[in-house]
Amino acid sequence: MGRISPMGPIIQKPERSLGAQVILVVEAFASTMSGVSAPFPQWRRWLGVGLFCMLPPLVGAATPASEGTTEAWQFMANQLPRDAYARLGRIKGAPTREQALASAVVAVDYQPVTQDRLHDAEAVFAQLAQGDDEVADAAAYMQARLYQVHFQQPDYVRAAALYRALAERHPASHWAQLGLVKLGLLELYTLPEPAAPADRIAAATALLGRIHEEKLQRDLHLQIAHAGTFYEQSLELVLAHLKEVDRIGGLVGQVPEDLAIELGELSLRAGHYADARKYFEIYLRDFTPNLRSVTVRRRLEDLAALEAKAKGGRP
Amino acid sequence: MKKPRARSVGFGLLAAGYVFAVFWVFTRSEPVVASRPVTIRIAHWQIEKGPPDGVDAVIRRYEELNPRVKVEQVLVPGRVYNQWMRTNLVGGTGADLIEYGVWLDGLTDIPARYFEPITDEMLRPNPYNRGTALEKVPWVQTFTDGLLNQRVNAPDPGQFYAATVTEVSERLFCNRDLLRKITGSDRPPRNFAELRALFQKVADYAARTGEPIYTLAGARDNAAWLMQYLMGGAMMQSSQRNDRHGTLSLYTWDEIGLYLEGRWSYRSPEAKAGLTMMREISMSMKPGFLQSLRDAATQEFLRGDAVFIFAGTWDGTSIRSLSTFPIDVLRFPQPTRNDPVMGPYFFGAFADGGGGTAMEFYLNKQSSHQAEAIDFLHFLTSVEGNQLFTDNSGWLPSVREVKVPANIAAYKTPMDCYSFGAEYMLMGSTVSEAIYRNLYLLTDTHGSVDQFVDALEREMPAAARADLGKEVSNRAITVRPQDVRIVANAALGWRAPQDASLQVARERLESSQTQSEALMLQLGRQLAIAGPAK
Repeated sequence: MGRISPMGPIIQKPERSLGAQVILVVEAFASTMSGVSAPFPQWRRWLGVGLFCMLPPLVGAATPASEGTTEAWQFMANQLPRDAYARLGRIKGAPTREQALASAVVAVDYQPVTQDRLHDAEAVFAQLAQGDDEVADAAAYMQARLYQVHFQQPDYVRAAALYRALAERHPASHWAQLGLVKLGLLELYTLPEPAAPADRIAAATALLGRIHEEKLQRDLHLQIAHAGTFYEQSLELVLAHLKEVDRIGGLVGQVPEDLAIELGELSLRAGHYADARKYFEIYLRDFTPNLRSVTVRRRLEDLAALEAKAKGGRP
Repeated sequence: MKKPRARSVGFGLLAAGYVFAVFWVFTRSEPVVASRPVTIRIAHWQIEKGPPDGVDAVIRRYEELNPRVKVEQVLVPGRVYNQWMRTNLVGGTGADLIEYGVWLDGLTDIPARYFEPITDEMLRPNPYNRGTALEKVPWVQTFTDGLLNQRVNAPDPGQFYAATVTEVSERLFCNRDLLRKITGSDRPPRNFAELRALFQKVADYAARTGEPIYTLAGARDNAAWLMQYLMGGAMMQSSQRNDRHGTLSLYTWDEIGLYLEGRWSYRSPEAKAGLTMMREISMSMKPGFLQSLRDAATQEFLRGDAVFIFAGTWDGTSIRSLSTFPIDVLRFPQPTRNDPVMGPYFFGAFADGGGGTAMEFYLNKQSSHQAEAIDFLHFLTSVEGNQLFTDNSGWLPSVREVKVPANIAAYKTPMDCYSFGAEYMLMGSTVSEAIYRNLYLLTDTHGSVDQFVDALEREMPAAARADLGKEVSNRAITVRPQDVRIVANAALGWRAPQDASLQVARERLESSQTQSEALMLQLGRQLAIAGPAK
């Protein structure tokens, strides 16, 4: 069945609205005037008051609902749920599917978050998830998220079931793909079955074949590797996943630096001396030196001794 | 005929004057009352001598460059900082840039709740480094440590949250005159064995002269820094044994989780060796020193009642500017492989400060002037700004290419020592409280290592569970709102599929959320396996 773009019924007018144009003119004017500091401040004030009085009817009359929704999403992206909530509240008429999604999503982070509000949001997500568009997939994903991290009492089994259902229904959807990564985390640490560490890792690994977005594959590879060291599984298994993370790349923060060292150190422990040397040297070359570099240099000395021993020479 | 001509000249002059006045007003005039449309505030607790002057110097220059912005420095004493920060953030009145440290008691939830990540900015060059060697270097890589501590302590491992202003280390400040008076020589001890011998000489001198002189000035804070340093060194081999992830360092949550798994304890021989050294040193401090804070130790040292003070370089400017005697800055004499106490657990010289950067400033999520706050942070940590800070504070810089004045060069930690990240003191606020509560059993004349260990180990199981539980809930605070941002970025992308930045923002959020969430679940599993404290 063909997918319906969420854009269709929502965005009727891609060009900038009259209200937005007025705002731009006022902003441009204010910006010009801010450079002129002395000559006629009283004019500026009256002009400003005049323009301010003109704005609400202009904006109210001109802003389509879709623009209000965009602004609300922008507020949410900037972690301003109160502003998003207020913006959505000003939109008149029956809400579109996207507006309904936005209203339910904002409730998830509208402080103070209450269980009642989360349950109301879940009802909206469940209803929206019945559709066949991107809104439906996002809503289905968010419904699972409620059970995994938002409700006071998480229900991991229910969250897992919802992720699985979404992946069955629309396997290529980004939300289904992201849901599979989250399902992988549940398999690794929380679901009652399978309980044995090796089986947990196998279950998460099996999900990788269903994830086609490379960045999401990378994220699950990394977590399988970390679960592998946590559960003290074979170094070969851990290294295989870490190498995939390294191949895909694109991580930021502390992880890339840790990854280079993990690859070096675990390769050394596994007896893969050439790999160990390669990754330790990458670490020393690519990252700002800190005291961990001193330990890495010492590990390179240890490595040289081990290599010499392996060759039958004197360390 | 003359009159109309004179009138024309008059009008001409008037018109020329008017044109000149208009030209002057539009191009040269300034407001009669200096007003800046934007005011931002930067708050910190570094009210020691030095940093306020350093930050003031940076503000003066920044305001010259940015006439629109006024920057106010808010100095808050350390004693009330925690309460001040919490109440202001809850009330929505927090400063735009706020200093925060992960070790502050009871505030571990603050970054996730109230601070805004600055990841995108960190990955772009600092605009104030234009024309310097760092012009094209991403902001994060302009710091001498690549912001290691901040990355490690970020509430979200895939994000950057803070920029630092200075590098810190711990040093032994020596009263050279007093050392010569007691030993007949300026030569300081080179290793722990020589320091032990000096303990005896100072005690003999005090007994002989009746002067209340001690080898080290003592206070609760200074003792804590010393213990952290000694425990980090003593536990080096243990930390390496427990490094199952192969990161060559342990995070605080690793330490707590490993404790709950029974992989280390304060009863281990390594830990007891570190504690024995701590007890040995504390016997050379004034009895009852745990009742005092760092100011009391500084005063004791400045009065000439102690040969040394072990302090952070953050106290260096105060100590050196207030002293009436020459001061040498030394590295703490370390035990060697032959040391009777630490020798069996010797790994190498251990870090006295770690070379990490600190005085980290976070961006308040509720700031009305985030762009200006980031801009000021850029300047504060630019080559020019950080040089101003260093020159006017007497503190080390945090930024590469900034020249270190010769008088503070001794504060820099060279790359000649090991750190495994773990300190066995500041794993979490509940564990730290338990350590502080029982520390007198270790440092009191009538105490002992065993008394301290017994008392601490009684409290540790519950304290470790409480701190690991806090780690889990702090991660949840970070993870939950990210769902909203992820969906919002995706929805914005539906409307502007050509805008690649929205996709990058969403992917980055998804990735860092997955990392935080996985850690949260892993720690939760550790707690579940450990079960309730007995």
